[in-house]
Amino acid sequence: MIRRHPGQFALWLAVVVVSIVVLASIRGPDLLGVSGMLDFLGRASAIVGLVMLLLAAALSARLPGFDRWFGGLTSLWRTHHLLGAGSLLLLMTHPLLLALAAADDGVGSAMARIFPALSDWPVWSGWAALVLMMIFLAPSFHFFGRPDYQRWKWLHRLAGPAVLLGLIHTYQYGRTLAPAIESALWTLLGLLALAALVWHFALSRRFGRRRYAVERVIMVANNLVELVLEPIGRRQLQYRAGQFVYLTPFDEMLSAGHAEEHPYTLSSSPLEDRLRIAIKDLGDASRAIQTIRPGSKVTVEGPYGNFFPDDAPPRQLWIAGGIGITPFLGRARHLALLVQPVDVHLIYCVQDEARARFLDEFQQIAVRLEGFQVTPHFFYRQGPLDHAFIDAHCADTAERAVFICGPGPLNQLARKLALGAGVGRADIHTEDFELV
Amino acid sequence: MRKLVYTTFVAFWAATGMLLALHLLSPNHNPAVVPEVVGSAIEPAGETAGAVPGPAHFTLQEIARHDRLEDCWMAIEGSVFNLTDYIPRHPTRPELLESWCGTDATAGMRTKGNDSDHSPRAWRMLERYRIGDLVAGESAG
Repeated sequence: MIRRHPGQFALWLAVVVVSIVVLASIRGPDLLGVSGMLDFLGRASAIVGLVMLLLAAALSARLPGFDRWFGGLTSLWRTHHLLGAGSLLLLMTHPLLLALAAADDGVGSAMARIFPALSDWPVWSGWAALVLMMIFLAPSFHFFGRPDYQRWKWLHRLAGPAVLLGLIHTYQYGRTLAPAIESALWTLLGLLALAALVWHFALSRRFGRRRYAVERVIMVANNLVELVLEPIGRRQLQYRAGQFVYLTPFDEMLSAGHAEEHPYTLSSSPLEDRLRIAIKDLGDASRAIQTIRPGSKVTVEGPYGNFFPDDAPPRQLWIAGGIGITPFLGRARHLALLVQPVDVHLIYCVQDEARARFLDEFQQIAVRLEGFQVTPHFFYRQGPLDHAFIDAHCADTAERAVFICGPGPLNQLARKLALGAGVGRADIHTEDFELV
Repeated sequence: MRKLVYTTFVAFWAATGMLLALHLLSPNHNPAVVPEVVGSAIEPAGETAGAVPGPAHFTLQEIARHDRLEDCWMAIEGSVFNLTDYIPRHPTRPELLESWCGTDATAGMRTKGNDSDHSPRAWRMLERYRIGDLVAGESAG
Protein backbone atom coordinates (compact mmCIF):
# COMPACT_ATOMS: atom_id res chain seq x y z
CA MET A 1 0.00 0.00 0.00
CA ILE A 2 2.85 2.40 0.82
CA ARG A 3 4.31 1.90 -2.63
CA ARG A 4 1.13 1.71 -4.67
CA HIS A 5 -1.02 4.23 -2.84
CA PRO A 6 1.25 6.47 -0.76
CA GLY A 7 -1.53 9.05 -0.47
CA GLN A 8 -3.91 6.56 1.13
CA PHE A 9 -1.21 5.42 3.50
CA ALA A 10 -0.27 8.96 4.58
CA LEU A 11 -3.89 9.93 5.08
CA TRP A 12 -4.89 7.00 7.29
CA LEU A 13 -1.60 7.32 9.15
CA ALA A 14 -2.54 10.95 9.93
CA VAL A 15 -5.90 9.82 11.33
CA VAL A 16 -4.23 7.14 13.48
CA VAL A 17 -1.54 9.52 14.75
CA VAL A 18 -4.10 12.16 15.70
CA SER A 19 -6.20 9.51 17.49
CA ILE A 20 -3.16 8.32 19.45
CA VAL A 21 -2.14 11.89 20.37
CA VAL A 22 -5.70 12.61 21.52
CA LEU A 23 -5.91 9.43 23.61
CA ALA A 24 -2.47 10.15 25.08
CA SER A 25 -3.62 13.59 26.18
CA ILE A 26 -6.03 12.19 28.75
CA ARG A 27 -5.41 13.89 32.09
CA GLY A 28 -5.81 12.85 35.71
CA PRO A 29 -9.24 14.38 36.33
CA ASP A 30 -10.60 12.70 33.15
CA LEU A 31 -9.93 9.33 34.75
CA LEU A 32 -11.53 10.08 38.10
CA GLY A 33 -14.95 8.71 37.28
CA VAL A 34 -17.36 7.60 34.58
CA SER A 35 -18.42 11.17 34.04
CA GLY A 36 -14.87 12.36 33.44
CA MET A 37 -14.21 9.49 31.04
CA LEU A 38 -17.37 10.18 29.05
CA ASP A 39 -16.49 13.85 28.88
CA PHE A 40 -13.03 13.03 27.59
CA LEU A 41 -14.35 10.53 25.03
CA GLY A 42 -16.90 13.11 23.88
CA ARG A 43 -14.13 15.59 23.21
CA ALA A 44 -11.86 12.94 21.65
CA SER A 45 -14.59 11.84 19.23
CA ALA A 46 -15.03 15.46 18.15
CA ILE A 47 -11.33 15.95 17.44
CA VAL A 48 -10.93 12.77 15.40
CA GLY A 49 -14.28 13.39 13.67
CA LEU A 50 -13.33 16.92 12.68
CA VAL A 51 -9.90 15.76 11.46
CA MET A 52 -11.65 13.21 9.23
CA LEU A 53 -14.08 15.85 7.96
CA LEU A 54 -11.25 18.24 7.11
CA LEU A 55 -9.27 15.50 5.37
CA ALA A 56 -12.36 14.51 3.39
CA ALA A 57 -12.78 18.15 2.39
CA ALA A 58 -9.10 18.37 1.41
CA LEU A 59 -9.51 15.31 -0.83
CA SER A 60 -12.45 16.91 -2.63
CA ALA A 61 -10.09 19.29 -4.44
CA ARG A 62 -10.00 16.80 -7.34
CA LEU A 63 -6.65 18.13 -8.52
CA PRO A 64 -5.70 16.34 -11.75
CA GLY A 65 -2.71 14.08 -11.17
CA PHE A 66 -3.13 14.17 -7.40
CA ASP A 67 -5.44 11.13 -7.50
CA ARG A 68 -2.58 8.92 -8.72
CA TRP A 69 -1.21 8.88 -5.19
CA PHE A 70 -4.50 7.38 -4.07
CA GLY A 71 -4.79 4.73 -6.78
CA GLY A 72 -7.02 6.80 -9.07
CA LEU A 73 -9.99 9.07 -8.55
CA THR A 74 -12.52 6.29 -7.90
CA SER A 75 -10.37 4.97 -5.12
CA LEU A 76 -9.85 8.51 -3.82
CA TRP A 77 -13.62 9.08 -3.79
CA ARG A 78 -14.10 5.87 -1.88
CA THR A 79 -11.66 7.13 0.76
CA HIS A 80 -13.41 10.50 0.81
CA HIS A 81 -16.71 8.66 1.36
CA LEU A 82 -15.27 6.55 4.20
CA LEU A 83 -13.81 9.63 5.87
CA GLY A 84 -17.18 11.37 5.59
CA ALA A 85 -18.95 8.40 7.15
CA GLY A 86 -16.43 8.11 9.98
CA SER A 87 -16.60 11.81 10.60
CA LEU A 88 -20.40 11.92 10.79
CA LEU A 89 -20.49 8.88 13.11
CA LEU A 90 -17.95 10.39 15.50
CA LEU A 91 -19.45 13.86 15.44
CA MET A 92 -22.92 12.47 16.22
CA THR A 93 -21.56 10.66 19.26
CA HIS A 94 -19.78 13.84 20.43
CA PRO A 95 -22.80 15.75 21.87
CA LEU A 96 -24.38 12.55 23.19
CA LEU A 97 -21.25 11.63 25.15
CA LEU A 98 -20.97 15.16 26.54
CA ALA A 99 -24.62 15.07 27.57
CA LEU A 100 -24.10 11.71 29.29
CA ALA A 101 -21.02 13.08 31.03
CA ALA A 102 -23.11 15.89 32.52
CA ALA A 103 -25.99 13.57 33.41
CA ASP A 104 -24.53 12.73 36.83
CA ASP A 105 -26.16 15.97 37.86
CA GLY A 106 -29.53 15.08 36.34
CA VAL A 107 -31.19 15.14 32.95
CA GLY A 108 -31.44 18.91 33.13
CA SER A 109 -27.67 19.21 33.32
CA ALA A 110 -27.27 16.91 30.36
CA MET A 111 -29.71 19.06 28.40
CA ALA A 112 -28.03 22.28 29.47
CA ARG A 113 -24.68 20.91 28.38
CA ILE A 114 -25.71 20.39 24.76
CA PHE A 115 -28.57 22.91 24.51
CA PRO A 116 -27.30 25.90 26.45
CA ALA A 117 -28.63 29.47 26.38
CA LEU A 118 -28.63 31.08 22.96
CA SER A 119 -25.86 33.41 24.07
CA ASP A 120 -23.50 30.42 24.11
CA TRP A 121 -23.20 30.77 20.36
CA PRO A 122 -20.13 28.54 19.90
CA VAL A 123 -22.22 25.53 20.99
CA TRP A 124 -24.86 26.50 18.46
CA SER A 125 -22.28 26.88 15.73
CA GLY A 126 -21.30 23.29 16.50
CA TRP A 127 -24.93 22.25 16.20
CA ALA A 128 -25.30 24.15 12.93
CA ALA A 129 -22.23 22.36 11.57
CA LEU A 130 -23.59 18.96 12.60
CA VAL A 131 -27.04 19.55 11.14
CA LEU A 132 -25.51 20.84 7.88
CA MET A 133 -23.41 17.68 7.75
CA MET A 134 -26.52 15.56 8.13
CA ILE A 135 -28.16 17.46 5.29
CA PHE A 136 -25.28 17.32 2.86
CA LEU A 137 -24.38 13.72 3.71
CA ALA A 138 -27.95 12.41 3.66
CA PRO A 139 -27.88 11.78 -0.12
CA SER A 140 -24.37 10.28 0.02
CA PHE A 141 -25.62 7.55 2.33
CA HIS A 142 -29.01 7.21 0.65
CA PHE A 143 -30.92 8.30 3.77
CA PHE A 144 -33.98 8.99 1.68
CA GLY A 145 -33.46 6.66 -1.27
CA ARG A 146 -31.23 7.00 -4.28
CA PRO A 147 -30.35 10.67 -4.72
CA ASP A 148 -30.64 12.84 -7.76
CA TYR A 149 -27.08 13.44 -8.96
CA GLN A 150 -27.35 17.22 -9.34
CA ARG A 151 -29.22 17.77 -6.07
CA TRP A 152 -26.63 15.65 -4.32
CA LYS A 153 -23.82 17.76 -5.80
CA TRP A 154 -25.62 20.97 -4.90
CA LEU A 155 -26.25 19.86 -1.30
CA HIS A 156 -22.62 18.83 -1.00
CA ARG A 157 -21.68 22.51 -1.24
CA LEU A 158 -22.98 22.87 2.32
CA ALA A 159 -19.72 21.15 3.27
CA GLY A 160 -18.04 24.57 3.08
CA PRO A 161 -20.18 26.29 5.75
CA ALA A 162 -20.20 23.09 7.83
CA VAL A 163 -16.40 23.00 7.91
CA LEU A 164 -16.23 26.70 8.83
CA LEU A 165 -18.81 26.41 11.62
CA GLY A 166 -17.11 23.28 12.95
CA LEU A 167 -13.78 25.06 13.08
CA ILE A 168 -15.28 28.08 14.86
CA HIS A 169 -16.84 25.75 17.43
CA THR A 170 -13.53 23.96 17.96
CA TYR A 171 -11.47 27.15 18.22
CA GLN A 172 -13.72 28.27 21.07
CA TYR A 173 -13.79 25.01 22.99
CA GLY A 174 -10.65 23.08 22.11
CA ARG A 175 -9.09 22.15 25.43
CA THR A 176 -8.06 18.54 25.12
CA LEU A 177 -4.73 18.83 23.34
CA ALA A 178 -1.90 21.16 24.26
CA PRO A 179 -2.84 24.63 22.93
CA ALA A 180 0.11 24.73 20.50
CA ILE A 181 -0.75 21.33 19.02
CA GLU A 182 -4.42 22.16 18.86
CA SER A 183 -4.00 25.46 17.04
CA ALA A 184 -1.38 24.00 14.68
CA LEU A 185 -3.67 21.07 13.86
CA TRP A 186 -6.75 23.16 13.11
CA THR A 187 -4.87 25.88 11.28
CA LEU A 188 -3.07 23.40 9.04
CA LEU A 189 -6.03 21.14 8.28
CA GLY A 190 -8.45 24.08 8.13
CA LEU A 191 -6.35 25.88 5.53
CA LEU A 192 -5.89 22.65 3.56
CA ALA A 193 -9.64 22.00 3.53
CA LEU A 194 -10.48 25.58 2.72
CA ALA A 195 -7.96 25.71 -0.11
CA ALA A 196 -9.43 22.50 -1.52
CA LEU A 197 -12.99 23.81 -1.32
CA VAL A 198 -12.03 27.15 -2.90
CA TRP A 199 -10.22 25.35 -5.72
CA HIS A 200 -13.04 22.88 -6.29
CA PHE A 201 -15.97 25.28 -6.18
CA ALA A 202 -14.40 28.47 -7.53
CA LEU A 203 -11.00 28.27 -9.18
CA SER A 204 -11.17 24.93 -11.01
CA ARG A 205 -13.90 26.29 -13.30
CA ARG A 206 -11.55 28.97 -14.53
CA PHE A 207 -8.16 27.34 -14.34
CA GLY A 208 -8.79 23.60 -14.37
CA ARG A 209 -11.06 23.26 -17.37
CA ARG A 210 -10.05 22.99 -21.02
CA ARG A 211 -12.39 24.24 -23.70
CA TYR A 212 -13.40 22.10 -26.62
CA ALA A 213 -16.04 22.14 -29.35
CA VAL A 214 -18.03 19.10 -30.47
CA GLU A 215 -16.73 18.35 -33.96
CA ARG A 216 -18.69 15.19 -34.66
CA VAL A 217 -21.16 12.94 -32.87
CA ILE A 218 -20.72 9.34 -34.01
CA MET A 219 -23.74 7.14 -33.35
CA VAL A 220 -22.14 3.83 -32.37
CA ALA A 221 -25.50 2.32 -31.41
CA ASN A 222 -28.94 3.56 -30.49
CA ASN A 223 -27.81 4.15 -26.91
CA LEU A 224 -24.13 4.92 -27.41
CA VAL A 225 -22.35 7.84 -29.03
CA GLU A 226 -18.76 8.79 -29.41
CA LEU A 227 -18.09 12.53 -29.22
CA VAL A 228 -15.15 13.86 -31.18
CA LEU A 229 -13.91 17.05 -29.55
CA GLU A 230 -11.79 19.70 -31.18
CA PRO A 231 -9.67 21.88 -28.90
CA ILE A 232 -10.42 25.58 -28.67
CA GLY A 233 -7.37 27.61 -27.86
CA ARG A 234 -3.92 26.33 -27.09
CA ARG A 235 -4.46 24.65 -23.73
CA GLN A 236 -5.15 21.03 -24.53
CA LEU A 237 -5.66 18.15 -22.18
CA GLN A 238 -2.54 16.09 -21.48
CA TYR A 239 -3.56 12.57 -20.57
CA ARG A 240 -2.73 8.90 -20.66
CA ALA A 241 -4.85 6.36 -22.50
CA GLY A 242 -7.68 4.98 -20.38
CA GLN A 243 -8.07 8.00 -18.08
CA PHE A 244 -11.34 9.85 -17.58
CA VAL A 245 -12.51 13.45 -17.37
CA TYR A 246 -15.40 15.50 -16.09
CA LEU A 247 -17.24 16.78 -19.14
CA THR A 248 -19.56 19.80 -19.03
CA PRO A 249 -21.65 20.33 -22.16
CA PHE A 250 -23.02 23.76 -23.04
CA ASP A 251 -26.01 23.19 -25.28
CA GLU A 252 -29.25 24.71 -24.08
CA MET A 253 -31.23 22.39 -26.34
CA LEU A 254 -30.22 19.42 -24.19
CA SER A 255 -33.16 18.03 -22.23
CA ALA A 256 -30.88 17.45 -19.26
CA GLY A 257 -27.32 18.07 -18.19
CA HIS A 258 -26.75 21.48 -19.76
CA ALA A 259 -23.78 23.09 -17.93
CA GLU A 260 -23.59 20.09 -15.55
CA GLU A 261 -20.40 18.10 -15.18
CA HIS A 262 -20.35 14.31 -15.38
CA PRO A 263 -17.46 11.85 -15.48
CA TYR A 264 -16.75 9.99 -18.74
CA THR A 265 -13.86 7.86 -19.95
CA LEU A 266 -11.64 9.06 -22.78
CA SER A 267 -11.69 6.61 -25.67
CA SER A 268 -9.02 8.27 -27.78
CA SER A 269 -5.26 7.88 -27.80
CA PRO A 270 -3.22 10.84 -26.51
CA LEU A 271 -1.45 10.68 -29.88
CA GLU A 272 -4.63 11.78 -31.68
CA ASP A 273 -5.22 15.49 -32.24
CA ARG A 274 -8.86 15.15 -31.21
CA LEU A 275 -10.34 14.03 -27.91
CA ARG A 276 -12.86 11.19 -28.13
CA ILE A 277 -15.33 10.23 -25.44
CA ALA A 278 -17.69 7.26 -25.71
CA ILE A 279 -20.91 7.85 -23.77
CA LYS A 280 -23.59 5.26 -23.10
CA ASP A 281 -27.10 6.25 -22.14
CA LEU A 282 -27.11 5.41 -18.42
CA GLY A 283 -29.09 8.31 -16.95
CA ASP A 284 -30.81 11.59 -17.74
CA ALA A 285 -27.67 13.55 -18.60
CA SER A 286 -25.91 10.78 -20.52
CA ARG A 287 -29.16 10.11 -22.42
CA ALA A 288 -29.57 13.76 -23.32
CA ILE A 289 -25.98 14.17 -24.46
CA GLN A 290 -26.59 11.59 -27.20
CA THR A 291 -28.35 14.42 -29.01
CA ILE A 292 -25.76 17.17 -28.45
CA ARG A 293 -25.34 19.29 -31.54
CA PRO A 294 -22.02 19.48 -33.38
CA GLY A 295 -20.51 22.90 -32.79
CA SER A 296 -21.61 22.96 -29.13
CA LYS A 297 -19.01 24.05 -26.64
CA VAL A 298 -17.92 21.75 -23.83
CA THR A 299 -15.33 21.94 -21.08
CA VAL A 300 -13.19 19.08 -19.94
CA GLU A 301 -11.58 18.81 -16.51
CA GLY A 302 -8.97 16.21 -15.73
CA PRO A 303 -7.46 13.85 -16.47
CA TYR A 304 -8.18 11.46 -13.63
CA GLY A 305 -7.67 7.78 -12.94
CA ASN A 306 -4.65 5.55 -12.83
CA PHE A 307 -6.08 2.41 -14.38
CA PHE A 308 -2.95 1.67 -16.41
CA PRO A 309 0.00 2.61 -14.18
CA ASP A 310 3.22 3.46 -16.00
CA ASP A 311 5.08 0.63 -14.33
CA ALA A 312 2.56 -2.12 -15.19
CA PRO A 313 4.09 -5.34 -16.57
CA PRO A 314 3.81 -5.58 -20.39
CA ARG A 315 2.08 -9.01 -20.38
CA GLN A 316 -1.53 -8.20 -19.69
CA LEU A 317 -5.00 -9.72 -19.59
CA TRP A 318 -7.83 -7.24 -19.99
CA ILE A 319 -11.34 -8.18 -18.88
CA ALA A 320 -14.03 -5.74 -19.95
CA GLY A 321 -17.78 -5.82 -19.29
CA GLY A 322 -20.28 -3.77 -21.28
CA ILE A 323 -19.49 -0.07 -21.39
CA GLY A 324 -16.44 -0.86 -19.23
CA ILE A 325 -14.79 -1.39 -22.60
CA THR A 326 -14.08 2.34 -23.03
CA PRO A 327 -10.73 2.63 -21.17
CA PHE A 328 -9.54 -0.45 -23.08
CA LEU A 329 -10.67 1.16 -26.31
CA GLY A 330 -8.51 4.22 -25.63
CA ARG A 331 -5.61 2.01 -24.60
CA ALA A 332 -5.91 -0.31 -27.64
CA ARG A 333 -6.11 2.64 -30.02
CA HIS A 334 -3.01 4.05 -28.39
CA LEU A 335 -1.08 0.78 -28.68
CA ALA A 336 -2.14 0.53 -32.33
CA LEU A 337 -0.76 4.00 -33.01
CA LEU A 338 2.52 3.20 -31.25
CA VAL A 339 2.95 0.22 -33.64
CA GLN A 340 5.13 -1.77 -31.26
CA PRO A 341 4.58 -5.45 -30.53
CA VAL A 342 2.56 -6.03 -27.36
CA ASP A 343 1.42 -9.01 -25.29
CA VAL A 344 -2.18 -8.22 -24.47
CA HIS A 345 -5.26 -10.44 -24.39
CA LEU A 346 -8.68 -8.82 -24.14
CA ILE A 347 -11.72 -10.80 -22.99
CA TYR A 348 -14.75 -8.69 -23.79
CA CYS A 349 -17.85 -9.81 -21.85
CA VAL A 350 -21.23 -8.78 -23.22
CA GLN A 351 -24.76 -10.14 -23.24
CA ASP A 352 -24.89 -10.89 -26.98
CA GLU A 353 -23.38 -9.98 -30.34
CA ALA A 354 -25.59 -6.91 -30.75
CA ARG A 355 -24.13 -5.37 -27.61
CA ALA A 356 -20.49 -6.00 -28.47
CA ARG A 357 -19.80 -2.35 -29.28
CA PHE A 358 -16.46 -1.58 -30.91
CA LEU A 359 -15.69 -5.32 -31.24
CA ASP A 360 -15.01 -4.83 -34.97
CA GLU A 361 -12.45 -2.17 -34.20
CA PHE A 362 -10.70 -4.36 -31.60
CA GLN A 363 -10.59 -7.21 -34.12
CA GLN A 364 -9.08 -4.90 -36.73
CA ILE A 365 -6.46 -3.78 -34.23
CA ALA A 366 -5.74 -7.45 -33.42
CA VAL A 367 -5.04 -8.06 -37.11
CA ARG A 368 -2.67 -5.12 -37.40
CA LEU A 369 -0.98 -5.18 -34.01
CA GLU A 370 1.35 -8.05 -33.21
CA GLY A 371 0.62 -9.71 -29.86
CA PHE A 372 -2.86 -8.21 -29.39
CA GLN A 373 -5.71 -10.69 -29.12
CA VAL A 374 -9.38 -10.21 -28.48
CA THR A 375 -11.91 -12.84 -27.37
CA PRO A 376 -15.58 -11.96 -26.99
CA HIS A 377 -17.56 -13.72 -24.25
CA PHE A 378 -21.31 -13.84 -24.72
CA PHE A 379 -23.30 -14.31 -21.55
CA TYR A 380 -26.42 -15.62 -23.30
CA ARG A 381 -24.41 -18.47 -24.81
CA GLN A 382 -21.59 -19.09 -22.39
CA GLY A 383 -23.07 -18.09 -19.03
CA PRO A 384 -21.01 -16.22 -16.48
CA LEU A 385 -17.28 -15.90 -17.12
CA ASP A 386 -15.41 -18.84 -15.56
CA HIS A 387 -11.98 -20.43 -15.16
CA ALA A 388 -12.51 -22.83 -18.03
CA PHE A 389 -13.24 -19.99 -20.46
CA ILE A 390 -10.23 -17.95 -19.36
CA ASP A 391 -7.93 -21.01 -19.44
CA ALA A 392 -9.12 -22.01 -22.88
CA HIS A 393 -8.30 -18.60 -24.35
CA CYS A 394 -5.50 -17.29 -22.18
CA ALA A 395 -3.60 -20.20 -20.66
CA ASP A 396 -0.84 -18.10 -19.07
CA THR A 397 -3.12 -15.84 -16.99
CA ALA A 398 -1.00 -16.41 -13.86
CA GLU A 399 1.91 -14.66 -15.53
CA ARG A 400 -0.06 -11.60 -16.57
CA ALA A 401 -1.15 -8.39 -14.94
CA VAL A 402 -4.95 -8.30 -15.04
CA PHE A 403 -7.00 -5.18 -15.79
CA ILE A 404 -10.73 -5.33 -15.09
CA CYS A 405 -13.38 -2.75 -15.91
CA GLY A 406 -17.10 -3.36 -15.96
CA PRO A 407 -20.19 -3.41 -13.77
CA GLY A 408 -19.62 -4.23 -10.07
CA PRO A 409 -20.63 -7.91 -10.14
CA LEU A 410 -18.40 -8.64 -13.14
CA ASN A 411 -15.50 -6.81 -11.49
CA GLN A 412 -15.88 -8.99 -8.39
CA LEU A 413 -16.20 -12.19 -10.40
CA ALA A 414 -13.22 -11.39 -12.64
CA ARG A 415 -11.13 -10.47 -9.64
CA LYS A 416 -11.97 -13.76 -7.96
CA LEU A 417 -11.11 -15.68 -11.12
CA ALA A 418 -7.80 -13.84 -11.48
CA LEU A 419 -6.88 -14.54 -7.86
CA GLY A 420 -7.90 -18.18 -8.35
CA ALA A 421 -5.68 -18.38 -11.42
CA GLY A 422 -2.71 -17.37 -9.30
CA VAL A 423 -2.42 -13.68 -10.18
CA GLY A 424 -1.02 -11.63 -7.28
CA ARG A 425 -3.20 -8.94 -5.71
CA ALA A 426 -0.72 -6.24 -6.71
CA ASP A 427 -1.12 -7.29 -10.35
CA ILE A 428 -4.91 -6.95 -10.42
CA HIS A 429 -6.16 -3.52 -11.44
CA THR A 430 -9.84 -2.68 -11.40
CA GLU A 431 -11.79 0.40 -12.35
CA ASP A 432 -15.48 0.81 -11.71
CA PHE A 433 -17.99 3.36 -12.82
CA GLU A 434 -19.82 3.84 -9.56
CA LEU A 435 -18.46 7.07 -8.15
CA VAL A 436 -19.99 6.38 -4.70
CA MET B 1 -21.68 1.51 5.46
CA ARG B 2 -24.92 3.17 4.39
CA LYS B 3 -26.91 1.11 6.88
CA LEU B 4 -24.52 1.88 9.72
CA VAL B 5 -24.58 5.63 9.08
CA TYR B 6 -28.35 5.70 8.67
CA THR B 7 -28.92 3.62 11.81
CA THR B 8 -26.66 5.91 13.83
CA PHE B 9 -28.43 8.95 12.37
CA VAL B 10 -31.80 7.59 13.55
CA ALA B 11 -30.36 6.54 16.91
CA PHE B 12 -28.84 9.99 17.37
CA TRP B 13 -32.15 11.79 16.98
CA ALA B 14 -33.93 9.15 19.05
CA ALA B 15 -31.47 9.68 21.90
CA THR B 16 -31.58 13.46 21.61
CA GLY B 17 -35.38 13.41 21.45
CA MET B 18 -35.56 11.13 24.47
CA LEU B 19 -33.27 13.43 26.42
CA LEU B 20 -35.40 16.41 25.51
CA ALA B 21 -38.61 14.58 26.49
CA LEU B 22 -37.17 13.49 29.85
CA HIS B 23 -36.04 17.02 30.49
CA LEU B 24 -39.42 18.55 29.67
CA LEU B 25 -41.27 15.94 31.74
CA SER B 26 -39.04 16.25 34.78
CA PRO B 27 -40.81 18.31 37.48
CA ASN B 28 -38.09 20.92 37.92
CA HIS B 29 -37.02 21.46 34.36
CA ASN B 30 -37.33 25.21 34.73
CA PRO B 31 -35.77 26.20 38.01
CA ALA B 32 -37.07 29.56 39.00
CA VAL B 33 -34.23 31.39 40.62
CA VAL B 34 -30.57 31.22 41.38
CA PRO B 35 -30.22 29.60 44.78
CA GLU B 36 -28.76 31.50 47.65
CA VAL B 37 -25.07 31.01 47.58
CA VAL B 38 -24.04 32.99 50.61
CA GLY B 39 -24.19 32.03 54.23
CA SER B 40 -22.87 29.02 56.03
CA ALA B 41 -26.15 27.11 56.07
CA ILE B 42 -25.09 25.14 53.05
CA GLU B 43 -22.93 22.25 54.07
CA PRO B 44 -19.82 21.77 52.01
CA ALA B 45 -20.43 18.94 49.59
CA GLY B 46 -18.79 17.22 46.66
CA GLU B 47 -15.43 15.59 46.12
CA THR B 48 -13.23 18.45 47.16
CA ALA B 49 -15.06 19.55 50.24
CA GLY B 50 -14.43 16.33 52.11
CA ALA B 51 -10.96 17.46 53.07
CA VAL B 52 -12.21 20.54 54.83
CA PRO B 53 -14.02 19.96 58.11
CA GLY B 54 -16.98 22.34 58.25
CA PRO B 55 -17.20 25.83 56.76
CA ALA B 56 -13.80 27.42 56.69
CA HIS B 57 -12.82 31.02 56.15
CA PHE B 58 -10.30 32.27 53.65
CA THR B 59 -8.91 35.66 52.75
CA LEU B 60 -8.15 36.86 49.24
CA GLN B 61 -4.45 36.57 50.08
CA GLU B 62 -4.87 32.88 50.79
CA ILE B 63 -6.94 32.34 47.72
CA ALA B 64 -4.29 34.10 45.64
CA ARG B 65 -1.90 31.25 46.39
CA HIS B 66 -4.11 28.90 44.36
CA ASP B 67 -3.82 30.72 41.07
CA ARG B 68 -2.94 27.90 38.66
CA LEU B 69 -5.08 25.52 36.65
CA GLU B 70 -3.60 22.63 38.62
CA ASP B 71 -4.60 24.32 41.85
CA CYS B 72 -7.39 26.74 41.22
CA TRP B 73 -9.46 28.45 43.92
CA MET B 74 -11.91 31.23 43.25
CA ALA B 75 -13.99 33.53 45.43
CA ILE B 76 -17.48 34.00 44.06
CA GLU B 77 -20.23 36.03 45.76
CA GLY B 78 -18.53 35.72 49.13
CA SER B 79 -17.90 31.98 49.01
CA VAL B 80 -14.70 30.15 48.19
CA PHE B 81 -14.52 27.30 45.70
CA ASN B 82 -11.78 24.83 44.81
CA LEU B 83 -12.45 24.35 41.10
CA THR B 84 -9.33 22.36 40.24
CA ASP B 85 -11.24 19.18 39.48
CA TYR B 86 -13.93 20.96 37.54
CA ILE B 87 -11.63 22.83 35.14
CA PRO B 88 -11.26 19.94 32.65
CA ARG B 89 -15.04 19.68 32.39
CA HIS B 90 -15.74 23.35 31.93
CA PRO B 91 -16.75 23.86 28.29
CA THR B 92 -14.22 26.51 27.39
CA ARG B 93 -10.49 26.61 27.00
CA PRO B 94 -8.82 26.30 30.42
CA GLU B 95 -6.71 29.39 29.63
CA LEU B 96 -9.84 31.52 29.82
CA LEU B 97 -10.37 30.35 33.39
CA GLU B 98 -6.75 30.54 34.43
CA SER B 99 -6.78 34.33 34.86
CA TRP B 100 -9.65 33.94 37.34
CA CYS B 101 -7.85 31.35 39.46
CA GLY B 102 -6.74 32.83 42.76
CA THR B 103 -9.04 35.84 42.49
CA ASP B 104 -12.55 37.05 43.22
CA ALA B 105 -14.23 35.67 40.11
CA THR B 106 -17.75 36.96 40.78
CA ALA B 107 -17.60 39.15 37.69
CA GLY B 108 -16.47 36.23 35.53
CA MET B 109 -19.27 34.04 36.87
CA ARG B 110 -21.86 36.75 36.37
CA THR B 111 -20.80 38.00 32.92
CA LYS B 112 -18.92 35.14 31.18
CA GLY B 113 -17.07 37.95 29.45
CA ASN B 114 -20.08 38.77 27.31
CA ASP B 115 -22.55 40.14 29.86
CA SER B 116 -24.48 36.91 30.22
CA ASP B 117 -24.87 35.19 33.54
CA HIS B 118 -24.18 31.49 34.03
CA SER B 119 -27.26 29.31 34.07
CA PRO B 120 -29.06 28.46 37.34
CA ARG B 121 -27.83 24.95 36.86
CA ALA B 122 -24.24 26.10 36.62
CA TRP B 123 -24.71 28.02 39.88
CA ARG B 124 -26.07 24.88 41.52
CA MET B 125 -23.21 22.81 40.19
CA LEU B 126 -20.76 25.36 41.56
CA GLU B 127 -21.98 24.55 45.07
CA ARG B 128 -20.35 21.14 44.85
CA TYR B 129 -16.94 22.74 44.86
CA ARG B 130 -17.53 25.08 47.77
CA ILE B 131 -14.87 24.86 50.49
CA GLY B 132 -15.65 27.87 52.66
CA ASP B 133 -16.41 31.56 52.98
CA LEU B 134 -14.49 34.63 52.01
CA VAL B 135 -13.47 36.92 54.81
CA ALA B 136 -11.68 40.22 54.73
CA GLY B 137 -8.23 40.92 56.13
CA GLU B 138 -5.56 38.58 57.46
CA SER B 139 -5.71 34.81 57.42
CA ALA B 140 -8.46 33.22 59.46
CA GLY B 141 -8.69 29.80 57.81
